[in-house]
Amino acid sequence: MSQHAALDVFEVLDGGFLTSVQDAGRPGLEGMGLGPGGAADPWSLGVANALAGNAPGAAALEITLGGPVLRALRPVTVALAGAELGAVTGVGRALPSGQSRTLAAGTILRFEGAVIAATGRAPDRWAPRMRAYLAIPGGFEVPPVLGSRSTALGAGFGGLEGRALRDGDVLASARGDPTTAEALWPGSPVARAQTGDGGAVVLRVLPGPWADLQATEALRALVAQAWQVSQASDRVGLRLSGAPLPGVFPADLASHGLTTGAIQVPPGGQPIVLLPDRQPTGGYAVAAVVITADRSVLGQLAPGDRLRLRPATPDEAVAALRTAGDERERALRHLREDRQWDALTDHAGG
Amino acid sequence: MPRADPGVRILSFGDGALLVELLPLGVASGVNDARRARLFASAIRDLRTSSPALALGEPVAAAASVLVPFDPLSVDAALLARRLAPLAAALPVAPPPDSDARPRKVRVRFGGDDGPDLAAVAAETGLTEAAVVDLLAASKLEVLFLGFAPGFGYLGDLPAELAVPRLAVPRTRVPAGSVAIAGQWAGIYPQASAGGWRLVGATDAKLFDPSLPEPALLRAGDRVRLVPA
Repeated sequence: MSQHAALDVFEVLDGGFLTSVQDAGRPGLEGMGLGPGGAADPWSLGVANALAGNAPGAAALEITLGGPVLRALRPVTVALAGAELGAVTGVGRALPSGQSRTLAAGTILRFEGAVIAATGRAPDRWAPRMRAYLAIPGGFEVPPVLGSRSTALGAGFGGLEGRALRDGDVLASARGDPTTAEALWPGSPVARAQTGDGGAVVLRVLPGPWADLQATEALRALVAQAWQVSQASDRVGLRLSGAPLPGVFPADLASHGLTTGAIQVPPGGQPIVLLPDRQPTGGYAVAAVVITADRSVLGQLAPGDRLRLRPATPDEAVAALRTAGDERERALRHLREDRQWDALTDHAGG
Repeated sequence: MPRADPGVRILSFGDGALLVELLPLGVASGVNDARRARLFASAIRDLRTSSPALALGEPVAAAASVLVPFDPLSVDAALLARRLAPLAAALPVAPPPDSDARPRKVRVRFGGDDGPDLAAVAAETGLTEAAVVDLLAASKLEVLFLGFAPGFGYLGDLPAELAVPRLAVPRTRVPAGSVAIAGQWAGIYPQASAGGWRLVGATDAKLFDPSLPEPALLRAGDRVRLVPA
């Protein structure tokens, strides 16, 4: 029997495909060459944390595609959001996304991965299968580095020793009693995606900064075809496969600042959509930028997924962001009311 | 978007940022442009403090532009652009070096296994390897901005004689501490990574250590000398 410290909450029996500690990231440190990092799907991170009773950006586990197996070392409430990655507790009780459950010490929590229909034909509806977020009350305790507990996988710092989880790791909770009332998220446990023909995800884009110059032709070609997410994608960026974009840009621009969601066009013409582990600056031309409201969906795209980029207007982008914010506020209000109701009825019953 | 002066353009960069371009697209930039970008970023930080309602994020100064993030739910992009235009127009044409710049000497082992591209750089520039090293060692470099990787400073400007293109096919792995050049720039890889610049030497200096209060050895504006070890 191994000895565990007072705050140890999980033993990692299998790290899975890629599981790392992520929070809201380290925005604002571009001056030292750092990209923002943090959860690829901030909506789902916020949902998992709300279910655990945390602030939206508390440190949680970002689980990619599936595979991790965790053993609870003490009673702990686990809150899950994001993609359905086949979470199962104990001997086989499914834990759906958008729910929390309190596990007894010794309980095994495993993620078997998304169930993919093996029919050989493209599904007509997209379902996220890339990232799930697991939060616990108080958050996971790893040392904050530069103001965040996020794992910077490329630079190798933050999170748990700057790397993905592996078997034998032990995760600590920030709180002595990481349990809270079980809850159900009264809304969508993953950001809502628009889908187009044949189940392709639709991301809304605004023209890039040079749309009035050489970029117009590339932008037209970018929105005219369906793209496929390449296997070479990671937390730095989604690499898109399709007919190469016309090489109308200067091959090398002076390096300029970037944002997550910027769509770069390297000389080969295969676009890259930037994700949080991106560089802070870059010299490739930017043909378009995914609207802020669609960034969480962007973080859920998996290799093999098909997507289309649809031109939006600035007003539409702001309205979509406001709608998402309103939905989140509404769900949070219902969650609070449910909790108050539970507290009242518990009191009445006791 | 309004035009501040013939060289400056304020461009939309998605719904949450503006890109203030201080030089027209495709015009080569240098030390002076990077200084103007840093000065503009500093003006943005002042604006952020004096006008919190604008909901500005941290500006990102680069070679000849500044990205200005903002919260689109709090401020209208066109309104913000109108606030930025006069600040850009007020930038001096040729700012002096940053007042808080620090001298940084980096000891470099040039050539051999430490600088596998030195011979090719010499051949392409028509110089001897020793002459390339002498020119690099004599260059008074300035950290123009940081980017590419944590702690990676773009150092400029190299003398025109040393201008070589990047590799057509980047290396998949460049060792940490590699000192490299491309075009008018030099740089030091803080950690092992892919990279397309030409490797002329290596240093034991630690460029980025997140456990330190100031993790990056180099700060934009610093004066850098590459000293042969």
